[in-house]
Amino acid sequence: MNYHWDWMFFFQETDDGLKYYDWILSGLGWTTFVSLASLAVALTLGSVLGVMRTTPKRWLVGLGDAYVDVFRNVPLIVQLFMWFFVVPELVPEKLGIWMKQDLPYFVTAIVGLGLYTAARIAEQVKAGINSLSRGQRFAGLALGFTEWQTYRYVRLPMAYRIVLPALTSEAMNIFKNSAVTYAVGILELYFQYKQIIEKTSQVLEITIVVTLSYFILAFVMNRILAFVEARTRVPGLIVGQKGGK
Amino acid sequence: MIEIKNVSKWYGSFQVLTDCTTQVSKSEVVVVCGPSGSGKSTLIKCVNALEPFQQGSIVVDGIAVENPKTDLPKLRARVGMVFQNFELFPHMTITDNLAIAQIKVLGRGREEAVDKGLKLLDRVGLKNQAAKFPGQLSGGQQQRVAIARALAMDPICMLFDEPTSALDPEMINEVLDVMVQLAHEGMTMMCVTHEMGFARKVANRVIFMDRGAIVEDAAKEDFFGQPRSERAQTFLAKILNH
Ligand SMILES: Nc1ncnc2c1ncn2[C@@H]1O[C@H](COP(=O)(O)OP(=O)(O)O)[C@@H](O)[C@H]1O
Ligand SMILES: [Mg+2]
Repeated sequence: MNYHWDWMFFFQETDDGLKYYDWILSGLGWTTFVSLASLAVALTLGSVLGVMRTTPKRWLVGLGDAYVDVFRNVPLIVQLFMWFFVVPELVPEKLGIWMKQDLPYFVTAIVGLGLYTAARIAEQVKAGINSLSRGQRFAGLALGFTEWQTYRYVRLPMAYRIVLPALTSEAMNIFKNSAVTYAVGILELYFQYKQIIEKTSQVLEITIVVTLSYFILAFVMNRILAFVEARTRVPGLIVGQKGGK
Repeated sequence: MIEIKNVSKWYGSFQVLTDCTTQVSKSEVVVVCGPSGSGKSTLIKCVNALEPFQQGSIVVDGIAVENPKTDLPKLRARVGMVFQNFELFPHMTITDNLAIAQIKVLGRGREEAVDKGLKLLDRVGLKNQAAKFPGQLSGGQQQRVAIARALAMDPICMLFDEPTSALDPEMINEVLDVMVQLAHEGMTMMCVTHEMGFARKVANRVIFMDRGAIVEDAAKEDFFGQPRSERAQTFLAKILNH
């Protein structure tokens, strides 16, 4: 093999006066920010949608189902292009111009990735709620809870615990999926990776570093949620067991 | 206290309840029995509107359950209910199970709610279990907590849906004892149960249901004596031989 290893290239100066490792760090920062912000959007909206789909109200269920069908089955990159290029043309003209000129790219990217992931989280939340015995809802209602209170105090706390492993994998996925936002101009890790490859010939070093970076991000997320799981574990309850039995 | 008049209910084209009429007066204990699938759970769930019904009316303490204007959460908060599978909230301690609805529904302060909960826990003989989670208690203990949880709301009447049928035989009596004590204190109770010993001890009336209809509704003495419908006799013979 004639490959010329040079790990020191990370400390070389780039055209813009920064070092290559600055590019990497900046990319890592954007990847982390976009991913966590999207996750927040996804968890919030996904929970609302998941709950909607388990209510006795038909139109809410229909609305939630339709959302999930659309947002889960259209490729993420197509969805991002929709938000960037199609939606501004469909909304009232002033709003469209504002979206194109003044709305920061990263906001649109976060919304796009968040709404895509929300559909997947909605599936998990719905599955979690439906895995509880019907009696739990009845017990809440019988005590005088409103339908919403049965979610707030009875069903969601258990549902989240049950689907935490699935949510963990969604939370890890979002770092990977965030790489797609390079296509709409977010200067995140994958964007920097491509840029560095074009500028230098140290493909192996940079690939190794970027791979490790993504791995570490996912790993840290995994550990955080494992901690949450341990903290919220219910004494005396076997994992996967239905409530109240 | 509870007046059920000509109640019929369908699941699609399947009729679960057929023209059910009965009532439970204040401080009365009424036992509902009948074969599995005869509609007992459905009927008792209609009383606090956990199940809707299409025909007839149910009035609880002067309030029509089927009236769309009725504030159902408020009504349900005044009607205690105990379920076959206990349905304690597994992620909460026993204390929180007892306190949560008092706080969130009745607006009591936490201290008052916990205090009240613990008093009732003591009454069902489980004072030292307050810090545990439902999954750490036996079935009989869980059901006693469930009764205490319902009582914490100061209900005007109590509904029981086969409170002992998910229990191991050795735990049935500890739950029945609590129910008997309640009955003696004058609680208005509608109990779906096959525990005929309990019925003999405290019931005022016994209702026998079959295929969604109330086939027999008689004073306890008459129900356990003669005469009664053939179906009720067959049913009684079956469960008493067990
Ligand atoms: N949600 C439901 N949808 C359709 N049928 C139901 C439903 N719940 C109960 N049933 C049917 O209604 C009948 C009465 O059920 P239930 O009231 O639970 O009887 P019981 O408590 O006397 O055993 C049964 O035949 C049961 O299969
Ligand atoms: Mg039943």
